Amino acid sequence: MKYQNNWSRRRFLQSLALGVGGLVTPVFVHAATEKVLTKAIPSSGERIPVIGLGSSRTFNVGSDPVALDNVTAVISQFFNAGGKLIDSSPMYGSSQQAIGYALNKLAKTREVFSADKVWTWESAMGPEQMEQSRRYWQVDAFDLMQVHNLVEWEPHLKTLYRMKQQGKIRYVGISTSHGRRHDELEAIMKSQPLDFIQCSYNILDREAEQRLLPLAKQRGIAVIINRPFQRGDLIDELAGKPLPTWARTIACDTWPQFLLKFIVSHPSVTCAIPATTQVAHVKENMFACTGPLPDQAMRQRMVDYVEKII
Amino acid sequence: MREMMDKLASYSLSDFILFSDKVYYRLFELYNLAIWPMHLLAVSFAFLIFYMLWKRPLWAGRGMGVILVVSWTWVAWAFLYQRFYQIHVVANGYALGFLLQAVLLAWSGVVKNRFVLLEQNRGRIHIGLGLLFLVFILYPFIAVISGRNWLQFEMFALAPDPTVLVTLILLWVGRASRLLYIIPIIWLLISGVTVLVM
Repeated sequence: MKYQNNWSRRRFLQSLALGVGGLVTPVFVHAATEKVLTKAIPSSGERIPVIGLGSSRTFNVGSDPVALDNVTAVISQFFNAGGKLIDSSPMYGSSQQAIGYALNKLAKTREVFSADKVWTWESAMGPEQMEQSRRYWQVDAFDLMQVHNLVEWEPHLKTLYRMKQQGKIRYVGISTSHGRRHDELEAIMKSQPLDFIQCSYNILDREAEQRLLPLAKQRGIAVIINRPFQRGDLIDELAGKPLPTWARTIACDTWPQFLLKFIVSHPSVTCAIPATTQVAHVKENMFACTGPLPDQAMRQRMVDYVEKII
Repeated sequence: MREMMDKLASYSLSDFILFSDKVYYRLFELYNLAIWPMHLLAVSFAFLIFYMLWKRPLWAGRGMGVILVVSWTWVAWAFLYQRFYQIHVVANGYALGFLLQAVLLAWSGVVKNRFVLLEQNRGRIHIGLGLLFLVFILYPFIAVISGRNWLQFEMFALAPDPTVLVTLILLWVGRASRLLYIIPIIWLLISGVTVLVM
């Protein structure tokens, strides 16, 4: 990939100049091939890279050995590029098993920041499901456990708080997607001591900017963003359309980088979790984890440009 | 219950199709490799069905019933539950639906002998034979025609779609109870939506 060697002193200085007033602190950690941008989880101060890895659809490959090895290659590239957080759910078919296969093969079961979900309408089944998920992942314990799509969130959250107290998980979160049930999520954020929320947000679907993201900032809740590319539709729509020349000032050479930088430059967003089946795409996505991020004026310019050409 | 339905309604169809077309069709490839030589049995089923429709022996109705029961049961167990369920969280429900259809076919076609191939239905039988020819012979080639690996073919008695199509043709030819059409038609809707959404 041509991007891999693009890091330069000039870009580093640009990142310092364009970092959004301390909200997006350009703190870099050493990775195998790149230095990656990280953000702090408000409840602990622990820093995680601003680009994670989703697994909906992409890692659901059953027991196909060829596909499992491809998942391993994708995850290997993700770690090599400095990635850490991988997100999954029992809803995603065999994705958890595929992740566990890859982590075990790569000996990364202790290095990963494991984010999974509990997804059952029978709250009493929650602990059993989470234990099954843990076995699939082949990790000692999950870092983050989220209530999937607000399903039975009250009893599940009680279980998760108890697990956090017992040291079985480190963070508690709740997820939604597609912009659904934001009112309910907002109420939960106001009443519950959450560490994380997960919701959909991208350059065209910006509803979360209205209330959820400011509230997360106010309440000190980390935010994971799913569907950064509208499940690929956004990339398809932008394919063939010209990337603006000024995108270079924020070190964007491709549309995925442009779209990801828009998301992770929001002051409330902790990380985005694009999903892919391709090693080349992971490299491309992880490059959005480096270099300068757009400031507020540039973010507005990005929105205006994309809305104009779509 | 109502609350649960409301929550379910907040999902879209694409939320439940969490696998790609590539993975879905590759499932057939691995399945075909794993179950060989079951394909020979499936081919023999096809020949038997042709024979029964053409010659209409006395045991034809029950014979068709047995073949359909075996086919639906096999697809439920070997494909839907053992394979498809790995990538699709509701495929165990599909497998149960197929088993239920197998029970209905067993009751109506085998126990009650309600599949009727009458002389006066000759026209219907000939149309049925033509349609069956299309499903038996052409359907397995859809993978290749679509530019996919030929090993991803789908055959009657082994894969759900051709099994359902053959069943509907035989139900129509054998003037079977309308009740027996319900699950096959539901499956065609599910399968059609799946192919469209994934």
